[in-house]
Amino acid sequence: MKRTLFAFVVIASLVLAACGGGGGGGATGPIKIGGGFALTGDESALDLPAANGAKLAAKEINAAGGVLGRQIDLIVHDIQYKMDVTAQVAKQFVEHDKVVAVIGFTDTDSVLAAGPTIQKAGLPFITAGATSPKIPTQVGDMMFLACFGDNVQAAAGAEYSFKNFGKNAYLLWDKGVEYTTLLGGYFKSRFTELGGTLVLEDSYDDKATDFSAQIAKVKALPQQPDFYYIAAMPYNIGPVVKQFRDAGLNGPIVGGDGYDTPDLVSVAGPASANVFFTTHALIDATGGTEGIKKFIAAYNKEYGHDPENAFAALGYDTMYLMADAIKRAGSTDAAAVKKALEETNKYPGITGSITLTAQSHVPQKGVTIIAVKDQKFTLGAEVVPDKVPAP
Amino acid sequence: MSLTPDLRRAAGPLAAILGLALALTIVQVSGLAFWQGLLINLGIFLILVVSLNLSNGFTGVFSLGHVGFMALGAYGSALLTLPLREKHDYLPKLPAWLAGLHFDFHLGAFPLGFLAATIVAAVVVSLVALLVGLVLMRLSGHFVAVATLGFLVIVRVVLINADDLTRGSRTFSNVTAYTDLGWVWAWALVTLYVVWRIKRSQFGRAMFAQREDRWAAQSIGIALMPPRLLAFVVGAFFTAVAGSLYAHFITSFSPNAFYFDLTFRVITMLVVGGMGSVSGSVIGAVLVIGLAEALRRIEDVTLLYGLSQIILAVIFILIIIFRREGLLGQREIALDRLFMKGGEAE
Amino acid sequence: MTIVLYALQQFVNALSIGSLYALMAVGLAMVFGILRLINFAHGDLMMIAAYFAAFALFAKTPLPLAILLMVGGTVLVGLIMERAAYRPIRGAPDVAALLTSFAVGQILQNGTLLTTRLMQKPVQIAFPSPEILNGVFAFGQITVPRLNVVSLAAGVILLVLLSLFVTRTDLGLSMRAAAEDLAAAQLMGIDINRVIATAFAIGSGLAAVAALLFAVQAGQINPYLGFTPVLKAFIAAVIGGFGSIAGAIVGGYVLGALEVVLTAIPGIGDILPPGMVSPAAQAFLKQWLPSSLTSYRDAFVFVALILMLLFRPSGILGRIEREEMR
Repeated sequence: MKRTLFAFVVIASLVLAACGGGGGGGATGPIKIGGGFALTGDESALDLPAANGAKLAAKEINAAGGVLGRQIDLIVHDIQYKMDVTAQVAKQFVEHDKVVAVIGFTDTDSVLAAGPTIQKAGLPFITAGATSPKIPTQVGDMMFLACFGDNVQAAAGAEYSFKNFGKNAYLLWDKGVEYTTLLGGYFKSRFTELGGTLVLEDSYDDKATDFSAQIAKVKALPQQPDFYYIAAMPYNIGPVVKQFRDAGLNGPIVGGDGYDTPDLVSVAGPASANVFFTTHALIDATGGTEGIKKFIAAYNKEYGHDPENAFAALGYDTMYLMADAIKRAGSTDAAAVKKALEETNKYPGITGSITLTAQSHVPQKGVTIIAVKDQKFTLGAEVVPDKVPAP
Repeated sequence: MSLTPDLRRAAGPLAAILGLALALTIVQVSGLAFWQGLLINLGIFLILVVSLNLSNGFTGVFSLGHVGFMALGAYGSALLTLPLREKHDYLPKLPAWLAGLHFDFHLGAFPLGFLAATIVAAVVVSLVALLVGLVLMRLSGHFVAVATLGFLVIVRVVLINADDLTRGSRTFSNVTAYTDLGWVWAWALVTLYVVWRIKRSQFGRAMFAQREDRWAAQSIGIALMPPRLLAFVVGAFFTAVAGSLYAHFITSFSPNAFYFDLTFRVITMLVVGGMGSVSGSVIGAVLVIGLAEALRRIEDVTLLYGLSQIILAVIFILIIIFRREGLLGQREIALDRLFMKGGEAE
Repeated sequence: MTIVLYALQQFVNALSIGSLYALMAVGLAMVFGILRLINFAHGDLMMIAAYFAAFALFAKTPLPLAILLMVGGTVLVGLIMERAAYRPIRGAPDVAALLTSFAVGQILQNGTLLTTRLMQKPVQIAFPSPEILNGVFAFGQITVPRLNVVSLAAGVILLVLLSLFVTRTDLGLSMRAAAEDLAAAQLMGIDINRVIATAFAIGSGLAAVAALLFAVQAGQINPYLGFTPVLKAFIAAVIGGFGSIAGAIVGGYVLGALEVVLTAIPGIGDILPPGMVSPAAQAFLKQWLPSSLTSYRDAFVFVALILMLLFRPSGILGRIEREEMR
């Protein structure tokens, strides 16, 4: 019994020693901004580059003298791509770190988990890559996107495929997450509106690794589709493409920005040919814009390798966008920053020009379509869809 | 001291409750968000471990499925308290009677709505537990462990597929953050009291008897099923309460939050403290949560993610090898005897 | 015609998935037969094997050597696991042993997580599938993924070798004796430690082969990949009759078939060629057997398992007495 009590006391004092209190925000000292990213976990293929991009931007801003004469302190916490951890991290930002604004997240579910807490605290919140156009109405008026909405990219994908591949599509989506469910729905809505037919709609479960059941059904179709639209998460897309090709299904595979991960090529290898997807920008040192080239050079200098995907650029843009708004607001006051964000007019991000208004917290940006050739991402087209389904 | 034996018997628990209340008030007033969060977590886990102890520890029928009841409690109560606007936005396909149901509205504002939602969810979960228990409590040993693990998997599959009610495996969010220190610890005390009383009751003795020697217990007329079922159902009730408290604390979750990681964490607390000891459960929860929090800090600094899990698992194995019955075994730290004189204890 | 191909395709799927489950289940069953230990860390051994194979192949090791390294490494880890964690708790109650295996699994998972982090690798890594396992075999109109054929062949060959081992060699016979009655086997002078170590070694080796096939199919690996397969293997072992090697093999193929049926039948209404059944029947199938039912598969499988435990606890070929279960 005594030993038990002793162990108890030891542990209790350990915890006491380990946990200090949090500091406060204020009008002086560094500007604290929370950055929520899944540094570990399934979504890390998108979140790690996004976090790196944001950190790089913060470093550049600080080197150039900071914002309002103050340095930016970007506090990054790992959300592990677990929804309960994400909610806890949001609490930590608000209650413990006492940040004045939050950026980050590349997945819609993560934003839905973190959003309510941040909204309730009344902090401005820009997501780097969560693409659901419904988020601002679901979370609240402090919520902004730095990227286009899924309705835009799905419409772009539908129009491009209808024109280039044909009228008969197969639709497969991951029904385990919000992003793919919405993306698949928007694709269906725009594609059928164009006059296309879905020869088969199918779905798979969260974190599936075996797609043989879905593949067998495609192969058994009396009429084979012209192309496959597959709304998949970054951690699934490599295996999906590989297994489709292994089974002898070689038609075009089309999808959204979840495909924008090095894993697509590293997992699928040569099987990644004839894959097309919509994303935010093509990160290419030769073909890209001036801004992209400069970004690639800076990223390479900081991390020793080129940006992995467009999410690095989105993270970078998001950090700059928030800093720009704080500068224009003239203070870190939440209402003032929100107002400044809503007055963002043609902010020249490297993923495109960003305009936000009080009516629309989702920027209208162009969509980049990437074609995978010889295991490399190449530019397919830069498009603005003719018509976009309602969010 | 010239107190009567009855008063002296009550003095220990009363002193503990007063001390706890004092500590909670200080933490609540101080506004230290970190400590509030930690103590809320501790309280929730305390309820989980103590209620798990009831079936796994007292009767020895080892359930791996309790976290399934927690998930049902969390989703069930959240559905009852979710504000109508959010319900409409997030769960457009909800059946009409549920879509219009909002306890805060029907039963008067907080706290009545939250209390009622928690109790309704827990009662429904207990009924589920009764049905499940009638089937599964016939098994023993690792077979019951595996069958209840199957129950956990089935709950998860159902939650993932009941899109209209749960949004499937997508994030269920915007639950109102009702849970605070007072709620958690009030429920924790109720749980402790009920489980403690059960242990000291005739049912409790029946539970331990059939755990130690089933044949002997049966031969003196102790039926197998009633004590097992009672333990399973009461455990499920409080586990669901913990689920409701957790849902209204964390405010966003998905079915993955209620799966294997959580199961293993609760079981670690149970085994460390001692299966069959209520005070052991308390100590197990405090030790594991404290250690996990301290290790998490180390992980955050060193970026050695995974280290804390490894250390906890090694401690777990060492306890099973060297002190199989846990820190307290079946013994209790008897608060009611704290202020009693030697001869008064039964 | 396509519908016939569909059925054939599913049959091949069932056999190849069944082979993987059987390879996994045998290891679980051998250890359970002797020690009454449900070794949940068996799935994590499989995960470790996948990492061994990945790193060997990253280093451009030729495939046969990589397989050898993978099997050898996994067997070693299996033996260490037995010596360090399971031997000290031999004779502990069922549940204590089961929980220990969970803890061992946690250590393996998080150890892998930590190691990959220290090596600056992402959590999820692309598995460098050997070229020989990619693509399809084409027999006229029928195409069968090579991986399925290899899984089936590997399963059959290894399981035949295993049954030869347990019926024809002294060590194999000792193993069966130990499974029959551990105490008696010990009295007869059988070196129990050696027998148990052999069971762990063989189980680990078979799991390693299954892991390679699993990783090629999935295309990528992460530290948590062992959880689902071990649950499946476990179900297979119970269905077959826990503790019996033959039962585990039968159980593996039965489970494979059950799963394939549960995934192939829902959604059948969408792919039936026009005119094969009446429109009314097709509409009925579409309404009542939508493909979304497939995601209930694991629930159905576990319901089947629980029914099995309740009504035929000894499994298809098992020998566990009913009384032991209570």
